[in-house]
Amino acid sequence: MKNLGSVFAAYVIGWGIFFIYYITVARRTAALGEQIERLKNTLNRSK
Amino acid sequence: MALLSNTAVLLGKELRTEFRSRELLTTTVVFILTIVVLFSFTFDPSVNESRRFGPGLLWLAFLFAASLMLQPCFLREQTNDTLSALRLSVNDPFAIFLAKLAANTLFLLLTQVLLLPVFSILYNVPVLGAFPQLILVMFMGSLGLSVTGTALSAISAQARMRELLLPLLLLPLLTPVLIASTEATASLLVLNPIMPWKWLGFLLGFDVVFLTALWLFGEYLLEE
Amino acid sequence: MKKRILIAAVVVILMSFAAYAALFVAPTESKMGTIQRIFYLHAPSGMVALLSFFVCFVGNLAYVFTRKPKWDWLGVSAAEVGMAFCTVLILTGPIWAHPVWGIWWTWDARLTLTFVLWLLYTSYLLLRTLVEDPDRRALISAIYGIFAFLDVPLVYGSIRWWRTQHPQPVIMGGSGSGLEPTMARVFWFWFLNLVILMIFLIHERYALEAMRGEVQSIEREAEAA
Repeated sequence: MKNLGSVFAAYVIGWGIFFIYYITVARRTAALGEQIERLKNTLNRSK
Repeated sequence: MALLSNTAVLLGKELRTEFRSRELLTTTVVFILTIVVLFSFTFDPSVNESRRFGPGLLWLAFLFAASLMLQPCFLREQTNDTLSALRLSVNDPFAIFLAKLAANTLFLLLTQVLLLPVFSILYNVPVLGAFPQLILVMFMGSLGLSVTGTALSAISAQARMRELLLPLLLLPLLTPVLIASTEATASLLVLNPIMPWKWLGFLLGFDVVFLTALWLFGEYLLEE
Repeated sequence: MKKRILIAAVVVILMSFAAYAALFVAPTESKMGTIQRIFYLHAPSGMVALLSFFVCFVGNLAYVFTRKPKWDWLGVSAAEVGMAFCTVLILTGPIWAHPVWGIWWTWDARLTLTFVLWLLYTSYLLLRTLVEDPDRRALISAIYGIFAFLDVPLVYGSIRWWRTQHPQPVIMGGSGSGLEPTMARVFWFWFLNLVILMIFLIHERYALEAMRGEVQSIEREAEAA
């Protein structure tokens, strides 16, 4: 089982990139969702 | 036919503007000369080494110079808002692109023809044996640079950080031109030059593909 | 929200199956040994990256002709997801190449193409950050995207022609062609999985971009009020 470490590293990197990318998208989405809520609230109050 | 006559008029305008001041040409020539001189410090410029690295060096210098030279192409029109006037004056906006890219090809070719003998003397690479063929290669390469470069200068003129953006957008796109022109030039600079038909054909393909793309999509870049 | 978590869970489970299949189900390759197992992640990533960029190209074309913001959203989502796959491709490649070829990188046609692709789409995403007006940004980045995608076959063609003229330091064997049946099944399972992952990620990223559009319309409404 030579090079098992390399194989493992490659899969960790691959998974890691997809996962981190998903997390950044999810976080940006959550932040934007809050912003939309706030905007809607202020808009309703001003009406 | 209207397209061609419009283009001719606009091309005349481009050339008049440039040859009145010759700012663009002088700066570009000096810039390429600087790069050519600086390159001599990065390797041992003996005859053999120069034959190997010369063509690549030359085309890399042309690529960088083009990405700087094409900068004012649409920017100049923006400062006095002459672009909207231009657009009103022609039926087909493609004429504006055609005129600009013809002018740019001409400017690039001119600087190349001026600098080729200088390069030849400095690096001891004889070019006279295949001079007409070299001009053909340079014309095809410059056309490729100008077609993509003119389109992208219309893009970068509408963004922030445009001075940095244009080389960044343009240079990776020019990979095929760099490879084809370098290889074509290299096969003409050896002792027994052979006509690089294969690479000339490739350059022709590149030029046709992007001219068509520009013809199809260029007008949208000029929208208000 | 519940539905989303469910879909995410399904994707994670499928990806775990795929990892299991690549590491334990597929037989060990006779010449290269264990290291060949990277192939199941590496090669389909490349195919899926190209597929994403193609989706981006379709979005760009559709935007130019219809001017509907949704096509712009698709374009940027596909480009970003394609970049994620392309990054995986570029990073896993050297890990495989080092034990097999003895070098981390070589300027082989496919490697060079991947790098140029990566640069082209980085420029595409960078261009988008440098234009304020949303409609303008959508239009000019769409046209750049079209130019970039048209360049792909030209880059590949030129590098191939050029490298066949020069001897290569390493010659890549025809992967995918003479695959052993189990290996082929694992490979296509991976490909399918990564396509699902791609669709999932593009969908998520698209939702984010759509929300941005919503924020803009609310702000416009607020200004009008």
